[in-house]
Amino acid sequence: MAAAAAASSSSTASPKTTTERRGIPGAEFVEDVEIYLSQTGLDVNSALAFLQERLQQYKLVEMKLLAQQRDLQAKIPDIEKCLDVVATLQAKKGTGEALIADFEVSEGIYSRARIEDNDSVCLWLGANVMLEYSCEEATSLLRKNLENAKASLEVLIADLQFLRDQVTITQVTIARVYNWDVHQRRIRQTSTSSTAKDSIT
Amino acid sequence: MIPKGTGASETDVTWEDQQNINKFGRLNNRFHELEDEIKFVKETIDNLEDASNELILTDEDVVRFQIGEVFAHVPKEEVETRIEEMKEVSSKNLEKFEEEKESVVAQMGELKKVLYGKFKDSINLEED
Repeated sequence: MAAAAAASSSSTASPKTTTERRGIPGAEFVEDVEIYLSQTGLDVNSALAFLQERLQQYKLVEMKLLAQQRDLQAKIPDIEKCLDVVATLQAKKGTGEALIADFEVSEGIYSRARIEDNDSVCLWLGANVMLEYSCEEATSLLRKNLENAKASLEVLIADLQFLRDQVTITQVTIARVYNWDVHQRRIRQTSTSSTAKDSIT
Repeated sequence: MIPKGTGASETDVTWEDQQNINKFGRLNNRFHELEDEIKFVKETIDNLEDASNELILTDEDVVRFQIGEVFAHVPKEEVETRIEEMKEVSSKNLEKFEEEKESVVAQMGELKKVLYGKFKDSINLEED
């Protein structure tokens, strides 16, 4: 990423790109291919190689973000299930009857539990830590965790959108540089073939 | 879908064009996400339908209803109510997703017109 930053530092700061977002470098939009190549001082093949490398880096970051998104998307229904259980326990509190539930002891083996009236629940906080909370505290803690998870997911989705835009810009730039090169070769070919014809005649 | 050039035309790509292409990409992604969500919600609704049908057939008064990771013993009427509620929520979600999908498809159609209008053959906006 350091070499890439050095290569693009010679270009004028264009207001059309956000330079970066949370560590993801922004892709510079190229107004004119010829000016871009002369500004960066790269020949066509080096420019294409640089852009391809950038594309690979973007893909790597995309993989990482997608994995994080999958984790969060699995975590949110989990927290909602916990909230459901706590809500059910609280509802049962008033009635005075115990809650009977079948739970999994081991794969395929279930056992019956009788959950008496109680005021507290234990929440698994991770890292082998479990804490006892009152039902209200548990509900507010779980709600807060749910809010945080949803907020993180939103930020992550925005990051992914930004990243995908940069990928699209880079892909279009690669196509344009390549096409420009093909166009240049064609011009050179027609001019050399016409000068060859002149010299023969 | 990558916007490719045939190399024949020398159409300039302006920042506005780039932004349209980006927007099309975002919409296309959202379209696929919505299709997956809709499929998932439809499955949920089917499962709830099956569950309520089974419920009618059963002659037990107490049903083991999954709450969190455990199956709580819940009276049949309460289970019926809960399933109805879950079906309501899922139907509303389905409606919301279908509406969003229609809007996304419409926007993509508009952008296609604009982009094909400018770039004609130099751009490919179809699914591979």
